[in-house]
Amino acid sequence: MWMLALTAFACGAAAAEESAPQAAEQESPWRLGIALGYGMRSNPLVQSDDIPIVVDLDIAWFGERFFFDNGDLGLTLADNRAVTASLVARFNSDRVFFGNTDTRFVSADLAGMPLAEATEFTVPDRDYAIELGLEFLLDGSWGQLQFTAFHDVSSTHDGFEIYADYGYGWRSQRWYVEPSIGLSYKSSALNDYYWGVRDDEVSVVLPPYQADAGTNAHARLMLGYQISRNWSFSLVAEYEHLNDSAAASPLVDEQDILGYFAGFGFRFR
Amino acid sequence: MRRLVVLLLLLIPALAVADADEASSMRLSVKPMLCIIDKRTPLCELAFLVAWESDHDGYYCLFNDFREAPLRCWNDARDGQLDDERSVDQSFSYWMTGDDGDNRLAMVAVEVLRMDTDDRRRNRRTRHVWDIN
Repeated sequence: MWMLALTAFACGAAAAEESAPQAAEQESPWRLGIALGYGMRSNPLVQSDDIPIVVDLDIAWFGERFFFDNGDLGLTLADNRAVTASLVARFNSDRVFFGNTDTRFVSADLAGMPLAEATEFTVPDRDYAIELGLEFLLDGSWGQLQFTAFHDVSSTHDGFEIYADYGYGWRSQRWYVEPSIGLSYKSSALNDYYWGVRDDEVSVVLPPYQADAGTNAHARLMLGYQISRNWSFSLVAEYEHLNDSAAASPLVDEQDILGYFAGFGFRFR
Repeated sequence: MRRLVVLLLLLIPALAVADADEASSMRLSVKPMLCIIDKRTPLCELAFLVAWESDHDGYYCLFNDFREAPLRCWNDARDGQLDDERSVDQSFSYWMTGDDGDNRLAMVAVEVLRMDTDDRRRNRRTRHVWDIN
């Protein structure tokens, strides 16, 4: 009989637990996801290949003060109703284009003038720079703003970048649309390191070039559909307009960078 | 007395099989099963279409997590449906019971997924082209 009573009590307790709606979930400090699909980012460099995007990992961890977000390391200095301010260390993103270049025999220089004989030409390499800076995040019913200012701390380009991005998202149940626009000011030292041609790189194919400071503009449109708790489908298109000084470099073939991605994302929740 | 015990021992498995049959024949569906909320839309205000179907006529009741009393009961029926208008901000369940009232014959969970966050850092613009926050 006591077994029966115990079972009845256990069943009652279980029923009582089930009768209340599930409590709100605690947000995990981890954000882990993977996206599979197809995408591409064009490469503005001469003699280069576009950058394919097939698999993209999202690995982030957010503690009370420290965070790691896909390669960025941050220390949050202030977090209040108005703003979240963090000290962030990151790798510069301009280097990514220099990893997808070719070596070819060319019969004309980069200005199009014919050469006396075919010459082997390789786009000069550039290093990743480690940059340290401040990041300010603001949001409200008007959208979200991100301001950053980064300076090289690895003695790679010794320059700095100031960046601003504004985005506004609309959600209608499973659908989400978010356009965003922004500007990025690049100092002359940064611009010249990546897009200039130094004396020791000059050849019959590649003339010398010194880049000045300039401002890139970018725009992005994201369309998402939440399929289930973990799965979503995303369409993303990005556009970046290189500053005139970078675009005038003999290393640059196209002033506009286009990117897109369409794919399924899985997020661990 | 011994005969009664033997009879009970024979009947209990038979009753269990009958219950299992009843449970396996109940089909419950809810549309939609996923609702998304954020800061601008903090509540799911939806009409949930709850439909059920059984292989056997019987007395069936529909429940959800928000009240102890059934939302509706059907007598001598083998299917039914209900439009349940609700404003919710948490995941919850619908379930069907038979005439015993306790045994859940079928259950469907409606998931309310919160897509916003109080941590602005999770919305940082990174170089990920696919991230949908």
